[in-house]
Amino acid sequence: MLDTPATDIAPATATAIATAVAAGRVTAQSAVETALARIRERDPLLNSFTAVTEQRALSRAAAIDEARARGKKLGPLAGVPFAVKNLFDVAGLTTVAGSKINRDNPPAARDATLIERLEAAGAILLGALNMGEYAYDFTGENIHDGPSRNPHDLKRMTGGSSGGSGGAVGGGLVPFALGSDTNGSIRVPSSLCGIFGLKPTYGRLSRARTFPFVSSLDHLGPLARSTRDLALAYDAMQGYDAEDPACNDRPAEPVVPLLDRGTEGLRIAVASGYFKCKSGEACYAIDRVASALGANRDIEIPPAERARAAAFTITAAEGASLHLQRLRQRATDYDPAVRDRLIAGAMTPATLVLKAQKFRRWYREEVLKLFDEVDAILAPATPCTAPLIGQQMFKHGDVELPVRANLGLYTQPISFIGLPVVAVPVPLTPLPIGVQIITAPWREDVALRIAHTLEAKGIVAAMRPPL
Amino acid sequence: MKRKAKVTAKAKPKVKAGPTRAKAVAKKTVTAKPRPAAAAQPDAVDMLIAASTETLKLPLDPSWHGGVKFNLQLILRLGAVVDEFPLPDDAEPAPIFRA
Repeated sequence: MLDTPATDIAPATATAIATAVAAGRVTAQSAVETALARIRERDPLLNSFTAVTEQRALSRAAAIDEARARGKKLGPLAGVPFAVKNLFDVAGLTTVAGSKINRDNPPAARDATLIERLEAAGAILLGALNMGEYAYDFTGENIHDGPSRNPHDLKRMTGGSSGGSGGAVGGGLVPFALGSDTNGSIRVPSSLCGIFGLKPTYGRLSRARTFPFVSSLDHLGPLARSTRDLALAYDAMQGYDAEDPACNDRPAEPVVPLLDRGTEGLRIAVASGYFKCKSGEACYAIDRVASALGANRDIEIPPAERARAAAFTITAAEGASLHLQRLRQRATDYDPAVRDRLIAGAMTPATLVLKAQKFRRWYREEVLKLFDEVDAILAPATPCTAPLIGQQMFKHGDVELPVRANLGLYTQPISFIGLPVVAVPVPLTPLPIGVQIITAPWREDVALRIAHTLEAKGIVAAMRPPL
Repeated sequence: MKRKAKVTAKAKPKVKAGPTRAKAVAKKTVTAKPRPAAAAQPDAVDMLIAASTETLKLPLDPSWHGGVKFNLQLILRLGAVVDEFPLPDDAEPAPIFRA
């Protein structure tokens, strides 16, 4: 499996690579060289990477191969290449966060906590990935680095803001990548690129040494081509970190050992009302997943439209607050679309922001009541399949909506209260689309078990792109 | 597949029993509906932009005005969707500072 040529776009999973490296069937060095060759060949098309850390990766691979030769026990991700959205600190690289302005900053002195934890488990960082400027984006377009391109159709968006993460994983350049999700930025590219994405519970994974966007809504998580790979990466990253004030002091709860428990006994419902699908693809995907799971009841999430409005309001004000000084000094160096949103956000009345935060607590209590009756809720991940790069509007039912602000209309009310979600890809032709599996706080295990079951049944899968 | 039962949470704020809260909510029901921020007319938004850029010392090239105004109108419209939702006076905001 691992000796497939770089041109084969169906590379090994993280699970297969780690197993092969641990067994000595392949070296970490060859796993890294294969991935580097794919990046050289495919990334000029996909525009996923903004930096490739080749020397670091080869050095790390040599250390793993040497450790194995000495008989040392290897970590669960030994030899597995991965990459990170370029808002993660990577020692020696400047953390650009998709911007022009941050390029003037000095290189990071130390890796982000999640990179350190993945490398402690044997994974090997291959580089930093393209993203929407300062993560204020659902498209994956970037005026400074060019757009990330969808592996299933290079004329189309990856979705954002973790666009490079979606493209690199969907395009087979790396088995998994890390992204961030404030309002949907892991789940939207997962849906449009046809891969799996995990947005864990707010406070589960450390955000230390990553460039923030909206601290009260920011999450980090993995994107991968299989549920097991998501779980492997997630387990390696869990655990308290005092360096992130929002990180919950909660012991790690490994999910890999639970994946095969199936879904028997789980109560699964489909979100109705606001979440009712309006496109043929989204409806087909939800029906297919619900049918496979025997999810035969609807459930209405209380006023989700207001939740989305509140998330939008908090995002506008908190994002603007983060950038206020930069806006004063370097407004012309922003992507104009981001700049205009941030300047407008700076003018948001404080009264509305505080009301939104109060609504957030009320809404959370109401939604948590639903989990007395169900264990998981299904909802579309995106309202449509991948729009064309540069496309401004899309049809949502009978109305035309702006793409940039609305690709996350199904994701925003969920991350607003920090619920864990696994986005699973339903393989459609010509373009895939995702479904969200939403569970109660700290029950990532339930969402991943459901995703794993769907994958085993062939209902969801990361499609091989026609590159 | 046909789905069976429909579970719907009440789209009303939870209010604990107690005279103070009950009174507060009852009062809300007779209070005149607050004017949503989205009711601001375009010229009012223009004035808000002008005043805010001045007081916050933000740059605003005239060519940016349309984009900023579009986004501010969107924020105010969505903010009003939240603003019009009744919550009890003692509703706590989501983030809690821990000393």
